[in-house]
Order: sequence, then structure tokens, then C-alpha cells
Amino acid sequence: MEQEAQLVVRCLGGEESAWEELLQAHARKIYNLCYRFTGRASEAEDLTQEVFIKVFQMLTTYDAVQGAFSTWLNRVARNHLVDHYRRTHKDRLTSSLEEQTGGLEDKPSADEHPIARLESQERHEVLQSALNRLSPDMREAVVLRDFQDLDYDEIAEVLGVPEGTVKSRINRGRLELARVIKRMEGVKGGTGPGL
Amino acid sequence: MTHLELENLIGEYVEGQLPAVRRAEIETHLAGCADCQFMADDVRRAFELCHAAEPLEPPPWLVPKILRATLGERVPSLRQRLADWFRPVLQPRVAYGIAMAVFSLSMIMNVAGINLRQVRRGDLNPATWVGQANRNGHLLLGRVEKYCYDLKVVYEFQSRLQRLRAQPTETPRPVAPAGGSTYGAPADEGLLASAGNLNAPVLAGLYAQAAGWKRSARSTNP
Repeated sequence: MEQEAQLVVRCLGGEESAWEELLQAHARKIYNLCYRFTGRASEAEDLTQEVFIKVFQMLTTYDAVQGAFSTWLNRVARNHLVDHYRRTHKDRLTSSLEEQTGGLEDKPSADEHPIARLESQERHEVLQSALNRLSPDMREAVVLRDFQDLDYDEIAEVLGVPEGTVKSRINRGRLELARVIKRMEGVKGGTGPGL
Repeated sequence: MTHLELENLIGEYVEGQLPAVRRAEIETHLAGCADCQFMADDVRRAFELCHAAEPLEPPPWLVPKILRATLGERVPSLRQRLADWFRPVLQPRVAYGIAMAVFSLSMIMNVAGINLRQVRRGDLNPATWVGQANRNGHLLLGRVEKYCYDLKVVYEFQSRLQRLRAQPTETPRPVAPAGGSTYGAPADEGLLASAGNLNAPVLAGLYAQAAGWKRSARSTNP
């Protein structure tokens, strides 16, 4: 935490390598957050870039006394994602499930068996589709908790809501997620060959 | 514990973050409530699915793209430019090729007799390399031939000496025919003593033969 605050200070002092270090350290997490939120690789890439541009411009407003850099970064990212969601909500309603899952990135490893890879990809697609069907409030709470591993108090700080609300959203989000997944698997099983 | 209370705590229960007392309360409730058990299973499944999902890797060009967008196009430093220039050379395959080329070149220069510490302008001409290599090759061949001839002479000497030594020292002297040829006459005692056990004419013949071989070896090796 101290080290990141130092990096921010160096960055504000005009040290380009410090900014590069910050970027390298957090790019993966922010990309994952954006991806889990949008479900599209290309959109996640654009959003990650926009978030970091915003962070670069707002770096002077970061106050190390008020909290960790990662929490502040998550808050900036979350606000940007919510803005983006509001902007693109109408488009999203008309987009099909295929489109939403079409951009999923498959990261096959050389030693993974093709069938195992296919199963993993299928699980991934089902999970992302189910996440996309949650309301933004529940989705961001679940993503921050289960994919970003943030604590409840950190999520409360990022979302700007009480901790109880966070817990409630996560609980309802998980329940809804499980129901959607079950429904999707039921639909798949029902339409599958031989069933 | 009511259903609503359980629903509020089910997330922390699944995550294993509840104190033992609360945990026991929930488990008691779940044991007697099929609906809540069903819900707990669903939440657990969703939790496990989310945690089993592997983190995604951003594309490799994303960070450089953001750096360009935030810091602008950066002029690479001299060190970075040198590193970029040498990067392909430092690949194992290329490095191996270069090492082999250097080795071959050093072999050729060695054969051509070029001293790397005192390289002259003329040494850089490939015609000089060929001429030098040709000369050195012939010299080497001559040395090898001479060595072989020398070996042959030494071997011949040794074998004849051994044969002579193997002969008995006191051979019966043939009796000279009276008034006839001196062939087979007794040898001079002094000469025999100076030559030890060897026969002087035989030795003289050996030396003459060796000198002849040497002459012939020299004539073949200019």
C-alpha cells in the first residue's frame, strides 16, 4: 500500500516509469473487472484504456490518507463502468446473447486436452451470460466480491453504499446467478441431442 | 433463526466467514428447512463457479497502447534502441549460427597462417588466404611425408641391428684356400673390436642406404 502511494508520488513528479509500473500492476485486474461487467473482450479493452486515461488525468485527486490506491482505482473504474452502462443500456437490450458471448476470449493452453478446454470454455460462456443477465447493482457487487476478491468494506467504499447493502446485493446476486445458470443448463439439456 | 435472517447471512456462511455460533444456528435451520437448504446449495454453486473461473489475461498490446495514449509516443533511449537492435541476434538460433561462422572463419584464418595480432592489409584479400592455405597445406604434406620416411629409416636401422645382435659373436672362420682368393679370409681383429659385435661393411651399407632414402625424401619435398 505504502509502495503504491510512493509510486503515485513519483508519477506525479513526472516519472514515466512509475506510471508504467502502476499500469502493469493493475491492468489485469481492471481488464477483468471490465470484462466481467460487459462480457465483451473488445469493449473490455476499450473500457480498460478509458479507465486508465481517466486515472492518469485524476491522479492528483488521489489521497493516500483516505485509502489504498487499488480501492480508489476500483472506484474510478466502477464509476466509469456505470456511466458506460447507462450510455449503452438501450443498445444492450437489443443485443442478442450470441453477440454478448461471441467476443469471449479463449485462452487455450498447449497442454490442455481439447475436450477439457471445450468444457472450460462452455462453463465460462454460461457464467458470463448469467452475469450479463444480472442487474448492474447485483453484478458489480458479485464481480467485485467473487472475481476481484475485494473485502465487504472495500466494496462498500467503492460502491458508496453501506456494508449491509453490499452483503444483501451479493447474496441476491449469487442466488440470481445460480438460478439463471440452472435455467440455462436446463434449456441446453432440453434441446440437446438425444434428450 | 428466520428465513430472512438466513438469507442475509448465507453469503458469509458459504464463504466460511461466520463465527461458530452463527454457523451452528444456520446449520440447524438448514437441517429442518428444505427450501433454505435448496437456496444454500444454489448460492454455494454460484460462489464455486465464480471462484473456479480463471482470470483473463489482457491482450499484450493493451498496456503499450494505454502508455501511448497517456504519455504519448516515447522516443526510445539509446539503451532501449540497442536492446531492440540486438534482440534478434540474441535468439539462440541466430547466436549459434554466428558462433559457427566465427569458428569457421577462425579455422580458415588459422590454416591461411594469418596472425590476428598483426593483420596487414594484404591479409584481408581472399586470394592471399587461398595462396597461404595452399602453401601451408603443401608444407604440412611435406612434413608428414618426411616424418614417414624418417620413421621408415629408423625402423630399418633397428630391425637390422637387432638381426645383427641376434647372430652368434664367434662364427667359425672359413679356412682360406691356399694360394687362391682372399674371400672368406679372417677379418682384421682391430676393426672388429672397434665395431663391437657389428660387421663394418654391413654398417657402411646401412648408412649408405639411409643417406639414399633421405636424398630421395628431400627430392620429393621441395
